[in-house]
Amino acid sequence: MFLLEAFVYGAVIALIFGTVLPFLYRNKKARKASFGLSLISSILLLVFAGIVLYTGKEPAFQAFRFLPGLDFTLAADRLSAGFILLIVAVVPGVSIYSIEYVEHAKSEAGKDLQTALTNLFILSMLMVVLAGNMVGFLVFWEIMSLSSLLLVLHDYSSEENKKAGFFYFVMTSLSTAFLFLGFISLFRLTGSAEFGQLDYPTNVLTLPFLCLFIGFGIKAGIVPFHKWLPYAHPAAPSSISALMSGVMLKVAIYGFLRFLLSVSAPELWWGILVLIAGSLSAVLGVIYALKESDIKRLLAYSSIENIGIILIGIGLYLIFKVEGLESLSLLSLLGACFHAFNHALFKSLLFLCSGSVVHATGTRNIEAFGGLVKRMPHTAALFLIGSVSIAALPPTNGFVSELLLFQAYFYSSALPDPLLKVLLITTLSVFALTSALAAALFVKLFGITFLALPRTKCAKEATEVSKLMLLGEAVPAALCILSGLFSSRLLILLGFDLGIPDMLPLGLILVGASGLVWLAVNNSGTSKSPRISKETWGCGILAQHPTMEYTSAGFSEPLVVIFKKIYRTEISSTRVYADTKESIFKSGTARIHLIKFFEEHLYLPAACAVSGISSQVSKMQNGKLDTYVLYVFIAVLTLMIFTRYFA
Amino acid sequence: MNASFLLFSLLNTSFVLLVSPFFMSLIKKVKAYAQGRKGPRLLQSYFDLRKLMQKEVVYSPNSSWIMRITPYLNLAVLLLATLFVPIVFIPEASGGVGNIIVFLYLLAIERFFTALCGLDAGSTFGGMGSSRLMSLSAVVEPTMIIAFAALAYVLKTVNFHEMFAITAGSTIPESPTLTLISISLFIIIIVETGRLPVDNPATHLELTMINEAMILEQSGKNLALIELAHAVKQTILMAVLINILAPWGLATELTFTGLVVSCLYFLVKASLLAGLIGLFESSLAKMRLFRLPGFYMMAFFFSALTILMEVFT
Repeated sequence: MFLLEAFVYGAVIALIFGTVLPFLYRNKKARKASFGLSLISSILLLVFAGIVLYTGKEPAFQAFRFLPGLDFTLAADRLSAGFILLIVAVVPGVSIYSIEYVEHAKSEAGKDLQTALTNLFILSMLMVVLAGNMVGFLVFWEIMSLSSLLLVLHDYSSEENKKAGFFYFVMTSLSTAFLFLGFISLFRLTGSAEFGQLDYPTNVLTLPFLCLFIGFGIKAGIVPFHKWLPYAHPAAPSSISALMSGVMLKVAIYGFLRFLLSVSAPELWWGILVLIAGSLSAVLGVIYALKESDIKRLLAYSSIENIGIILIGIGLYLIFKVEGLESLSLLSLLGACFHAFNHALFKSLLFLCSGSVVHATGTRNIEAFGGLVKRMPHTAALFLIGSVSIAALPPTNGFVSELLLFQAYFYSSALPDPLLKVLLITTLSVFALTSALAAALFVKLFGITFLALPRTKCAKEATEVSKLMLLGEAVPAALCILSGLFSSRLLILLGFDLGIPDMLPLGLILVGASGLVWLAVNNSGTSKSPRISKETWGCGILAQHPTMEYTSAGFSEPLVVIFKKIYRTEISSTRVYADTKESIFKSGTARIHLIKFFEEHLYLPAACAVSGISSQVSKMQNGKLDTYVLYVFIAVLTLMIFTRYFA
Repeated sequence: MNASFLLFSLLNTSFVLLVSPFFMSLIKKVKAYAQGRKGPRLLQSYFDLRKLMQKEVVYSPNSSWIMRITPYLNLAVLLLATLFVPIVFIPEASGGVGNIIVFLYLLAIERFFTALCGLDAGSTFGGMGSSRLMSLSAVVEPTMIIAFAALAYVLKTVNFHEMFAITAGSTIPESPTLTLISISLFIIIIVETGRLPVDNPATHLELTMINEAMILEQSGKNLALIELAHAVKQTILMAVLINILAPWGLATELTFTGLVVSCLYFLVKASLLAGLIGLFESSLAKMRLFRLPGFYMMAFFFSALTILMEVFT
């Protein structure tokens, strides 16, 4: 047991040193050492999480005491070990990548700050997952939110980033407020701040459930609380986007799961609510992503989609658990957890690669890219691995987790309630649609970014990034493939024999068959034909021009037309005619306006209401001390009366 | 992987490779008769493939390694997919081979890389084809999943091999609802193989085409591989429908006579189905692109109906 603790303490100390070091020495070497330390900590944690996951030991130890009665304890079980594994899978790639990437920041101070905060951010996420009680959870949750906020604001001079930072700050505070409410109501119920088994009738758990669902939902970015993601991600450095999207969203999922797994008897409507919210997030996330042409914003919307998929798994878990189908609920829960792990891998890979692309071209607009496969061949290959995984193509990891969920859906005929089956069929078709739209999305992203001719000068002059950055991207890419191929073996090793198809033979057959086809075609006597190079057919125009290529907007146009009800585009035009019969057009204006449904109908009214209330409240403030003393006096008096007669 | 499975892999794959081009020509022939023409010879597809194999490959200087690996990858993926659909005999279930979800996503690999290929050369036609293919396949995906989920609901398994063993074991279709699924499966064949009214395989007009637009820049043996992969896909999709609706003659264990009978029965049944597809194509005009989701809804309706009937009975 002592050894296990030592791993955690070692990792924590390494990360603390990593946070302090850049401020102490303020040079490139210190920054390098700092990322080296986060690398070391992830190796230590890998061993720790591996042991806990494999042996099922549940180490718990007291770290320090805030106040008498408020101990801060660390605890780990298989759930938290799984999420530590997720952190460990992302951190090495990000650390290696950041060594070079952080040097592109504008100022020396900015570089130091970014290095230190990255370490702090990793540390806080680790501690949230390791927290043994609600107090530690909330404290580190706040540190996590604030350190990531500062990282989002790293380039605070631009107006756009300021807005993004503010938006993120408001949303994350809202999330914490709901978490507080949820935890306090749990505390009132159990009388302890520990995460323990909750054997209570579900009607008293309704309030904590709703608060925690909203609180964690805001942080995870489920629709309709998703709007901060597409703002924060483009503003943050790419390595931080990788951490935020890859790990931080999953920390929220972890918190939600921690609560749900401790409830012994959840109610059916919880599962239905989570399932529907997940399905909506998934399909809307990908549909919005299709219309996006900012590479990082597109990836942010795709994160919303994947969080939706994870929630679908959690929803299915709850429904099957309530209906008493143990094996199916386990299948869905593992599907959700494995998808969280996989999404951490491929989304961090994609964000890191997009950081390279943005660095090489100087723009985030994918309409300006093109032809990068010739200029950045390694980045392109790694990006393709990420795209294939996220599009859920076998034998990569993204496919396996979706397979688990599809299997759970397909076996749902065992459910006794027919209406529930109808609900599951409906959400199954939404899930299928999401998955196929994601494939379309990543064909578009990869194709428009990397293939054909460069569309602008900046894409033409792009060059491959440094080897260290490529190495940082290669780590999650390799893990994507390996965790896909060995998925069923890994799950069996952990004690979950689900009877899912083994991807390893399939992958081997695929490689073998490609090789065989190649050999058969190129070694037979008939094919000693030369390969020649000729211009793409351009309908008679001899020189190929980039304007002839398909654009990002053009690519998604058919889907935009099919889903036009969801995009809610408003086209208005005015025309002035030169004659009275309105046949000779003189002048006019036309406007295409994309209605931002959630912003205009949800966020704006809420924000207006809040600012209205606060302007009323601010009238009470006159800056005089005696007035405030009066307020305090009235408040205390009211409380006393209230507690005497009502509570 | 035992010896029987290895034998199955060899026989099934080579049988599918061998007969696939034949059904391509057969459909063309049926369409030609319906239009009052004589049509190509029944072996014409084989000659075409041989001719293409001997031609040089022309690559656009804009294109990348995507264009170079896709033909090989696509054929390999479909050869892997043939293992999922037993035609010669049903082997003992082995590992994940036969899982219907893996099968669907193997087809998705082929689609994904073909669409990337369309964008690779920078041609306008290719991009258009890719965009349309990915959009339409996204819209048809719920239908496909629901159709396969309906199969899983009725037959209580997610493995093709087990499904076919169940259907082949009974003389009448296992459940009347399977007939309903067959309608959806038929529409899926039409959509996946790019036939009228979804796509027109016989045209090179930019307004109507999807699949042909994407492979416009392919040539020589690469084109041959892509055409062959397309033919293989058509055969295995037909085999799925045949083995569900009319599994008569499919051998459930390995005997020599069983093998021959299975192959012969399949040839007859698949020829009939190919004729039906040819007639279906001849009787319809190309649909407008944006009216296709409605067409897919029909297939969706039949599969959802199946599930609802299963649920409420």
